[in-house]
Amino acid sequence: MSKPMPLNRRDLLKLSSCGAFGASMSRWLPMLADEARQTRPRQRSVILLWMTGGPSQTDTFDMKPGHENGGSFKPIETSVPGIQICEHLPLLARQMHHCAPIRSMSTKEGDHTRGTYLLRTGNLPQGPIDYPTLGSLLSKELGQEQSDLPNFVAVAPYTQFSPAAYGPGFLGPNFAPLVVGDANRAVATPMGPNYDQSLAVKNLALPRGVNLERADARLSLLGELEADFASGRPGLNSESHRSAYAAAVRMMRSEAVKAFQLEDETEKLRDAYGRNQFGQACLLARRLVERGVPFIEVSLNGVGNNQTFAWDTHAQNFTSVKSLLGVLDPAWSTLLADLQDRGLLDSTLIVWMGEFGRTPKINPQTGRDHFPNAWSSVLCGGGIKGGQVIGRTSDDGMKVEDRPVSVQDLFATFCQVLGLDSMKQNISNVGRPIRLADPTAKPITELIG
Amino acid sequence: MSNQRPRFCWDPVIRAWIGVALCCWFSPLAFADDVQDLADMIDRRIAAKWDSDGVTPAELAEDAEFLRRVSLHVAGSIPPVAEVRKFLQGESPDQRRLLVDQLLESPHYITHFSHFWTRVMMPESATDLQGMALRPGFESWLRQHLANNTHYNALVYEIMTTPLAGDRGMNATLQNANTLSPIAFFTTKQIKPENLAAATSRMFLGIRIECAQCHHHPYDAWKQEQFWGYAAFFAGIERTTRNDDFIGQVKEVFDRRELTIPEQETVVQATYLDGTQPQWRSKVSSRRTLADWMTARRNPYFARSAVNRIWGHFFGVGIVEPIDDFGGANVPSHPELLEELAADFAAHDFDLKYLIRAITTSKTYQRSSRQTHRSQTEPQHFSRMAVQGLTGEQLFDSIAVAVGHLESFQQQQPFQFNQTGPRAEFLELFAPDNNSPTERQTSILQALALMNGSFTASATSLEQSVTLTAIAEFPRMKTPDRIEALFLAALTRKPTAAEQERLTKYIDSGGPSKNSKQALADLFWALLNSSEFLFNH
Repeated sequence: MSKPMPLNRRDLLKLSSCGAFGASMSRWLPMLADEARQTRPRQRSVILLWMTGGPSQTDTFDMKPGHENGGSFKPIETSVPGIQICEHLPLLARQMHHCAPIRSMSTKEGDHTRGTYLLRTGNLPQGPIDYPTLGSLLSKELGQEQSDLPNFVAVAPYTQFSPAAYGPGFLGPNFAPLVVGDANRAVATPMGPNYDQSLAVKNLALPRGVNLERADARLSLLGELEADFASGRPGLNSESHRSAYAAAVRMMRSEAVKAFQLEDETEKLRDAYGRNQFGQACLLARRLVERGVPFIEVSLNGVGNNQTFAWDTHAQNFTSVKSLLGVLDPAWSTLLADLQDRGLLDSTLIVWMGEFGRTPKINPQTGRDHFPNAWSSVLCGGGIKGGQVIGRTSDDGMKVEDRPVSVQDLFATFCQVLGLDSMKQNISNVGRPIRLADPTAKPITELIG
Repeated sequence: MSNQRPRFCWDPVIRAWIGVALCCWFSPLAFADDVQDLADMIDRRIAAKWDSDGVTPAELAEDAEFLRRVSLHVAGSIPPVAEVRKFLQGESPDQRRLLVDQLLESPHYITHFSHFWTRVMMPESATDLQGMALRPGFESWLRQHLANNTHYNALVYEIMTTPLAGDRGMNATLQNANTLSPIAFFTTKQIKPENLAAATSRMFLGIRIECAQCHHHPYDAWKQEQFWGYAAFFAGIERTTRNDDFIGQVKEVFDRRELTIPEQETVVQATYLDGTQPQWRSKVSSRRTLADWMTARRNPYFARSAVNRIWGHFFGVGIVEPIDDFGGANVPSHPELLEELAADFAAHDFDLKYLIRAITTSKTYQRSSRQTHRSQTEPQHFSRMAVQGLTGEQLFDSIAVAVGHLESFQQQQPFQFNQTGPRAEFLELFAPDNNSPTERQTSILQALALMNGSFTASATSLEQSVTLTAIAEFPRMKTPDRIEALFLAALTRKPTAAEQERLTKYIDSGGPSKNSKQALADLFWALLNSSEFLFNH
């Protein structure tokens, strides 16, 4: 199984023939960066807005006014006549012409762990096959090999439900996300002044007391050791070690890493996204798209101090959902407008989804439980035909009545929107080739412009 | 004949007794050395293929290379400096075997192989919430068995037949953390017959029949009915509560021997994978009947799959690859070797330590990883040792040894699973991908953590690092001695003459900061970040 390396062999040879890994670094890096900038075509990007815990469709994009399952929220008109969404999404409603709610998601898996794995990899956990998460799968296709920034950035993923659903699986660590923000170890004051601190890349700065000169000296010593070791033991392991170190050093010293400096933005824009982790993460996503990062995922794991199991509203559904929408609405709508202003919306697909929906029927704790049978996701931008609704559920919301969409249908749709061949195969860890999407999947062709 | 002794017949009896006594007394010498015999057999089979394929093998590894390699493979971390010095000074011709014996009796063997078997048997422990929660209980059970050197067949038998219902069953075990039980094996497979069938056939027999669950296997000969026929041995397990989130009460109909294929009418009878029908005995459950067949010496799959797995652990590549897939096109690189290893392993009652001793005694295992001839490229020739990735545990514990942390990094509280702290963060970051250890990739975040992370920072800080401070501050050491000590601590070897010369100049000049101690810190940093440190080879 040979895998593409961020560095090609010629570069590796160049590195080892120089003998000094670090000394050559300062001359070698900017040259590489210039080359990359010149040759990079306008590429497509994806922003996944992941709703941890499974968001309620009935209280967002598939309202059931007049039915007892409908609950206490009211629908409002949107920028597209005939499409109504929840009253607590007023800003997004004005952007509905960019969006296509899919009301007929139908997936058959109501357990958090398995549902999370299913929606994020397109497959149920199947014995020994380690399916890659969506971001790894698509960024491998969309990304550039020698970019200054990694091709896949994940902000605050809450991985505890299913760590494997967040990893590169059989594609390997070269396609692992660069993770910023920590959702697993609860941030003490996510609403406080510290929240954007948590969006910085970990370990990017040199250790205290080590200046650039010393760092170069260290890399130079390392380069000598590597040259000796690797020359006698050619192989993937040390090659990958070297390319990862080169990419890490490249990122540490690149201009592009300024994407993470959110303080460069105006106060007004930062306010518009919302002064919370999710809002600022959406702003970060835009800054990364601007710098050519092809896949960014941003998780909405909660509001305030309650940063886990956000959308898992088994009790007090309406209170929780209202406060979540209060964070979601400004962030998402500002993201669309901001991308539009910069001419990036047509090339950036935004996907809103969780692991499943929630029961239309309201339980005695005023909550809604897990419901995979009929639920909603939303696609925006990316050149899709927005302003239309895909699929329909019954009046009580219990059944899909028109155009059921499976996970694989959704994955095939992503491929088609992004101009990728969904029949392309990757070799899995068990040696069996796996396609980007299943050959039986039916992409939602109505969306493709 | 008057002088004849009345009990002349004693003589042969006495002679026989003396014979027995002599045999017992000299048995280690007089009888064959099984470990050496098996090691020799390995070497003969491997060398035969080198001859026929025109391969020139690498040199034999020097003591330092062997010490580091075998310590990582058997005990899960590099050895401390004192052990390295002792071993490098040793001259006994037996010292490599004695070292392995020592490592196998150390608590590190128990911990390291409990990680190993957990990864094999409960892959879910790295991938989902429930698996992580159940991991400590499963590992505790494993550790007890590894401490007693329970043989492999008994280990698997206990898993296969562990009670799921009643007062030693699911709920009792989950509620009482002190009960040592492999029940988590079943819980993580959601106690579903199809999941248990797929897992047990792959893990214990090297047969991947799970694809036949839904359709006939495209490459292999397995039919859908065979998959479900095998799954039928688990058909008696029933949940008494239906809730996807939670496995509640479980009951088991012990003598259920058939299963209806889901969404079909077909009823299949429990049938072994070799196609034979079980000889059912009364009051013997279906699972026990399967376990009897599975772990029997004459089962051709069982021993073969085990020896291939252990072989893969030590060589990075199996005789069959992937390690747990004997089907289709995955033919063994050395078929006779595989058969003989399996037969000998079974003949020694599936004693894992015996197998480990034999493999590590072989010259094949003791080859250097350094390539000396262009014919040494095909991994399955085993002509030089493969460079292998470390697990997160191996890496963390090795760094701890190298930098001289005094406290143990082993889990202090085996039943506390939601751990935070440097070790948990480290293990999360370095969780091995399921690629072969010879194809381990490094991620950017891993590189950043190793270069700039707080763990490396304190390890290479003159204020905080035990090893570095001792070496840099010790008054009567000369620069070459300090360099040698750092190499021994991190790489388990002395620097080469060229390295020594180059680095002595560098350290004495003090590097960019014109400070020899800082230059030593920089060298230690480079050693800890090097491939030579981060891989086993």
